[in-house]
Amino acid sequence: MHIPDGFISPQTYLPAYAAAVGLWAYAARRVKRELDADTLPFLAAYTALSFVLMMVALPLPGGTTAHAAGIGLLAVSFGGWMAFLAVSLVLAMQALLFGDGGVTALPINALAMGLVGGFAALTAWKTFGRWNQTLALFFAGWLSIALPALLVALVLGVQPLIAHDAQGAPLFFPFGLSVTLPAVVLPHLLVGLAEGVLTVLGYRYLTRLRARLA
Amino acid sequence: MSIAIRMLLIATLASAWPALAHDLQYTVVGGQAVVIKLFYADDTPFTFEAYEIYRDGEQLPYQVGRSDSQGRIAFLPDRAADWRIKAFSEDGHGLDFKLSTDAAAQLAGSDKPAFERYSRIFIGLGFILGLFGLLNLYLKRQQKS
Repeated sequence: MHIPDGFISPQTYLPAYAAAVGLWAYAARRVKRELDADTLPFLAAYTALSFVLMMVALPLPGGTTAHAAGIGLLAVSFGGWMAFLAVSLVLAMQALLFGDGGVTALPINALAMGLVGGFAALTAWKTFGRWNQTLALFFAGWLSIALPALLVALVLGVQPLIAHDAQGAPLFFPFGLSVTLPAVVLPHLLVGLAEGVLTVLGYRYLTRLRARLA
Repeated sequence: MSIAIRMLLIATLASAWPALAHDLQYTVVGGQAVVIKLFYADDTPFTFEAYEIYRDGEQLPYQVGRSDSQGRIAFLPDRAADWRIKAFSEDGHGLDFKLSTDAAAQLAGSDKPAFERYSRIFIGLGFILGLFGLLNLYLKRQQKS
């Protein structure tokens, strides 16, 4: 789902950077208040897991690939702001060190996956968890992939409208919404199923481990 | 044959001349192409996806098209230059990188990823765990003071 460099117009990524920098600063203040030495090793391990999951490409029908991300798991285990920072850290490291996902696209990837994906998962977990924990966790994981995919598809699909030359030729990503919505969202609805299972198993394991260590 | 009929025949033949402009011809020559292979992390080729090639700094593409069934792009540079290659699939996968050609229009160099894919996993894990280790030291120092 990471958008590479060269796909996003400055009209999109500059405001996105402004928004992301403000939100990163706010999230850092929140996390500094909430983070303690007991939580930190678990957060480190799950951030590392998220990084590894993003590096493992799953082949999908149609010759494309996608990957799980562990966003739902981070959000239901540690809260939305910690998930946002952890996912942003992984994305920043991938963009700056490895060239996976663009530096110009970093705020969009971080806002879509870390912020929207994380808080969507947390909301789903808090809303439905009281009725059925397993289904709520599964739905949280699925939503943490599906909703960011929808946002990324929208951002990519509006690029030809936002940035084009005098003849109307797109200067950045060339495909419109009619192409990006099905192409990006449909595969991620499938990947979301794997993310849902991962969220259920990961959350239960973490809960047991924390109880054992307490 | 009367003069009128001869003139009519000549006029008819003359009017058919522009039709030759629509007769597409071809020649086949061998050439030294730069071949770029695009593939996903699991080696699945990036097949039949759109690409654009620009001479560095130019707005008009030098070449556009789609990768072949093996995920390859072949193009023939015409001079020493830096070239920008953009490839993109409809689902947002893609690349944007540069290569250069020398005076003989041969490949001289290209952008390369800083680390191989599986090295990245270990480097990334080391980076994350190291960063959290430093954060842990910071938190402990905060607790003591």
